[in-house]
Amino acid sequence: MTTKRKSTKKVTAAKKKSPAARTPRAAFAVATNEKKTTAERAKAFTEAPLQTIDSDKNLQASLDVLRDRQQPIKVRLAALQSLQAASFSVIEFEPHREDYLATLREIVDDPDEELRQRVLGILAREKDAYTQQRLLEGLQDASKALLPPEKALQLLSYDVHTEAYPVAREIVNAPPNPEAKREALRLLSADAKSAPVFEKLLRDKDEDRDIRQMSAAALQAVKPKQFQEQARELLLDDKEYDDIQATALTALAQFGDEKAVVKDQKLMKRVDELEKGKSAKVKKTAKRFLSRYGTEK
Amino acid sequence: MVESPKDEFCGLVDQLPSDQLIALLHENNPIYDQRGATTVVRMRGWVMLTLARTSLPDTALPFIIEDLDTGVDAYLVAAAAVALRSYPTPNPAFAPFVVRAITNIRYRDERVSVETFGGFAIGTKGTSPVRELLTTLAWLGPHARASIAEIETLRTGPTAIAKKYHADLDQIFNTISSDTPLETADCCGLPAGVKDLFSWMRPTRTASSSIESTVFEDQGGRTITFGEYFHGRPSIVVFFYTRCDNPLKCSLTITKLARIQKLLETEGLADQINTAGITYDPGFDLPERLLNYGQHRGIQFAPQRRLLRSQDGLDALRKHFALGVNFIESLVNRHRIELYILDAKGRTAGYFGRVQWNEREVVERAAELLKENVKPVKSSSVRVASPVFGTFVALGLALFPKCPFCWAAYLSLFGIAGLESIPYSPWLQPLLAILLLSNLTSIWFRARATGRMIPFYLVTAGALVIIASKAFAGPDAFSFAGVLLTLVGSVWSTLNRTLLGSGQYRER
Amino acid sequence: MNVEIQINNSPNANARFLTWSPAPCRIRVTNPAGAQGQGSPPIRVSARTTTNSGALVFRKGTTGAFATSLQINVPVNGNWVSFFTAGQFGRPSTSLNDVQIQARHGNGNQVIGSTACTVRIRKNANDLTAGERDRFIAAFAQLNNQGLGRFADFRDMHTNVSSPQAHGAPGFLPWHRAYLLDLERELQAIDPSVALHYWRFDRPSPNIFKRDYLGESDNLGTVLFSGTNPLQFWVTDGVPGINRRPFFNTNNATGVRTEAQTLALGTTYPNFRTMEGNPHGSAHTSFGGSISSIGTAARDPLFFLLHCNVDRLWAKWQQINNRFNSAVAASYDSGAWPIGHNLPDTMWPWNGITGPPRPPTAPGGTLAPSPVVSAPGLSPRVRDSLDFQGKISAAACMGFDYDDVPFS
Repeated sequence: MTTKRKSTKKVTAAKKKSPAARTPRAAFAVATNEKKTTAERAKAFTEAPLQTIDSDKNLQASLDVLRDRQQPIKVRLAALQSLQAASFSVIEFEPHREDYLATLREIVDDPDEELRQRVLGILAREKDAYTQQRLLEGLQDASKALLPPEKALQLLSYDVHTEAYPVAREIVNAPPNPEAKREALRLLSADAKSAPVFEKLLRDKDEDRDIRQMSAAALQAVKPKQFQEQARELLLDDKEYDDIQATALTALAQFGDEKAVVKDQKLMKRVDELEKGKSAKVKKTAKRFLSRYGTEK
Repeated sequence: MVESPKDEFCGLVDQLPSDQLIALLHENNPIYDQRGATTVVRMRGWVMLTLARTSLPDTALPFIIEDLDTGVDAYLVAAAAVALRSYPTPNPAFAPFVVRAITNIRYRDERVSVETFGGFAIGTKGTSPVRELLTTLAWLGPHARASIAEIETLRTGPTAIAKKYHADLDQIFNTISSDTPLETADCCGLPAGVKDLFSWMRPTRTASSSIESTVFEDQGGRTITFGEYFHGRPSIVVFFYTRCDNPLKCSLTITKLARIQKLLETEGLADQINTAGITYDPGFDLPERLLNYGQHRGIQFAPQRRLLRSQDGLDALRKHFALGVNFIESLVNRHRIELYILDAKGRTAGYFGRVQWNEREVVERAAELLKENVKPVKSSSVRVASPVFGTFVALGLALFPKCPFCWAAYLSLFGIAGLESIPYSPWLQPLLAILLLSNLTSIWFRARATGRMIPFYLVTAGALVIIASKAFAGPDAFSFAGVLLTLVGSVWSTLNRTLLGSGQYRER
Repeated sequence: MNVEIQINNSPNANARFLTWSPAPCRIRVTNPAGAQGQGSPPIRVSARTTTNSGALVFRKGTTGAFATSLQINVPVNGNWVSFFTAGQFGRPSTSLNDVQIQARHGNGNQVIGSTACTVRIRKNANDLTAGERDRFIAAFAQLNNQGLGRFADFRDMHTNVSSPQAHGAPGFLPWHRAYLLDLERELQAIDPSVALHYWRFDRPSPNIFKRDYLGESDNLGTVLFSGTNPLQFWVTDGVPGINRRPFFNTNNATGVRTEAQTLALGTTYPNFRTMEGNPHGSAHTSFGGSISSIGTAARDPLFFLLHCNVDRLWAKWQQINNRFNSAVAASYDSGAWPIGHNLPDTMWPWNGITGPPRPPTAPGGTLAPSPVVSAPGLSPRVRDSLDFQGKISAAACMGFDYDDVPFS
């Protein structure tokens, strides 16, 4: 481990020779100096992320800023961003990981929603059991929610092995907003048994475009063959919306089963028509489709 | 499902004697049904910590060692480290697992609490898996002497662990290096009986009749039943699923299955022993997923080397093999490593599980089955057996009501003069009728598996024509029409599989 | 008279790709009819270009100045004569085979042989033509193939478990150079016209964050795509879609350390590689979402454009400070480092070595071979990644270049 320190010292020495830039150490001193302005401190924090883990002292100072509700939120967010950037240097971060994650758990109830959201996001990506439990509790009981339901669902979808499926189904059936429905569908897409739900929503012209597109992606992921059949139906339906037809055409053009598609005269004829139609996006994808399967090959 | 597992579960665990606690360490315990993976981790960890309050029994050791060997969850690994220390005496065989656990978890080290269910450590309180593993190493003391080189690399050099642990390591190193004589006479093995829990071979075996007709789809989209695939030669079978997020389990299992395939080739056993990987997640693991997952891990696909998904769900297989797995929705929430060796009748003859198995040992165990008195069947003959058999039966039934002279004449007509001496046997007709029906049943299963019903209809029509012809003493032409229908149907039933099968293997 | 021209000394059409590095070519007479007498008539080699096409330069040997045309005496007996071609710096191709090497007899105008080729260069992703962009994202989408494709290997190579092989020590830059090259070659196997392009995180790059490109993030951080964009079917870890919530206005730069500041970190590798924190780590964490955590970062295709820029910065630093030679101390970080980070070490996963101190499995097999160049080999060592343009040894050329990092 001495070799690591050696190189850091080299860096510091080199930086001292450069009058144009301050050293990482100097930047860190500004970041943790409460007498400096919020903007100065935030900038200083993000300037040299590895300085936050240069020593245990620096780490503790950074974590102190992060957990201290009296500190300006911009500085705290900058400290978090810097620590998270340093976490990419895995070998150097090894000694500090446990302190970092335990501090993040400590602040998931912070009054600032932006900080909560970022912290819960980092923990959710680590598949942190505590975070999953708190997010689920919030979905089951709004009074305990740390984040809006759509965000909680999005974060829970980082782990396909969570217990969020029942609550996601409830949200699909009675969504508080379209985003929550979309994120619930994304979460459910890990479960092949949800395919009928995706099929139904994909074919429902009254649904939001985003919901239908999400359903298309989800169905494609769990039941590719069924999706290809649905995509065909969407294209043959002359009352279907342009953007949904573009989605269906894109899927077939990019991932379609070539043997099946080229034999499907009805479909090929229909795409020929679409290529001559008015919608620019449909024309574009129809052209791509035909360049793979058809007349423009 | 219990809405809040914590209170009820902790209450339950507190009351249970150790043998029942150990039952909770089996993944397939119904208590884990429909729990999320992280909840299962917390529950299992708490069971281990409860066991650690008293002396850890031998029967709990496989589960503890399993999490040291392959665990990637901080709480569970810390709990396993704590639990191991409650074993009555330190054992040198534990040391490699403890050192391996440090290597596995060091970059995922995080603060946990081994005092509470779930072990969330918030802020500065708590311990960590690496800390607990070091404490366990210290407990092992001189018994970890065989691992001293590995411990040294954790203490010094470029792969040294975090400095904050160096004082602990120095102390461990000094203890290990001391001249203290070892108390245990057996310095190299796990306690008697425990090793058998990781692997076994059984001379008495249960028939696989409950899963014979289970239909699998392989990585190329071809279908085959359990009976068709696993009968005729011994097999090495692993279970896995592509969404497994522990690289020390499924990803490594399939990588090692590929190594087994290479070993079989080296040993000249590739044509004598099947390999297969069966997914726990058949709903998601569609053929293309299986193909990619296997290809990317070095699997060489061939008719007797496939990755399979059950088209009939997992229930029957789960019951038959007593699979160490449980689910949240259709997703696995926890599973053990499990490999089975099947004999040439598809019966389970051996098992390797929980910890990483040795490829050579698995191959040697499987090769032992070759000595058993079962004639190996070539894969191609498995395929063509069905139509030849079915047609022969139909032909026999069409021919046999005749007198022995007619039988001889017919055979002569077909140039099989050597069979003229077969005596007329009145029992042969009912036997052939039964065989005809069994051929029909076989074709029905194939039709169901492949979704191609026309061959079944042809064979059915053929059977009806033959039976009607015999029942009403119809003209011979009727019987031969029946034979022809049976022949066409039987061949058709297998033709697609054979042709498509070999073609697709070439492609890949 | 007719001549045949081979690029990279290969008859293979897949080998007709050039960078700024000189590529070995050869020419021979295939039909001497019309040649005056015997011997070696003069042949003039030049490039046919259009306004937006690639352009070429030529030279006879391994040294000397390049010129836009070259006169070579080629024997009529059919023997090959070698020469060298490179892309003209600043003139990369915009589509497949958009430039042609043409041969003429003496001062004549008649073309007696030609070969089309592509100056395939990594570019600023924000500035691609619509065609380049569409082919780029289509190749990415195909590599992912709804979660079923080879991309899964690249995702599995960059996880919490494998990260010590590639981060927090000097091997950070070499490992990612090999990783990007492996991915780029897989993209090129799908569409040979494609190169891996970079995201200049220190400059405004609004186009990249549009729905018809790498997608537009809503307030939640869910990335939205147009119906025509095949990335709408992107699947990783069994879940469709991408989460990416920018903490900066995507019409502006991120605010991370600029290129000039990064290049000024120092002239020796130990100083320069501190860029792993800022701008590299800082660029990752200028978003919420997958890209901001090491274990999930590779789930977002933007990750590869981000790292391509990190690699470009290293290439530019190498070019400015002449740090291509691994025998020169300042080119790398000497000392004892964890395995995979020392110059002679092979790199996981391409070396196939598994088990501690390497990760348990090695997804993806060896590094994808190239029909154009042989370096850095199927199982590259750390030291093989330094001389990417083949400056120290022509055989080390890895077959990629950046639009703003010249050969000389």
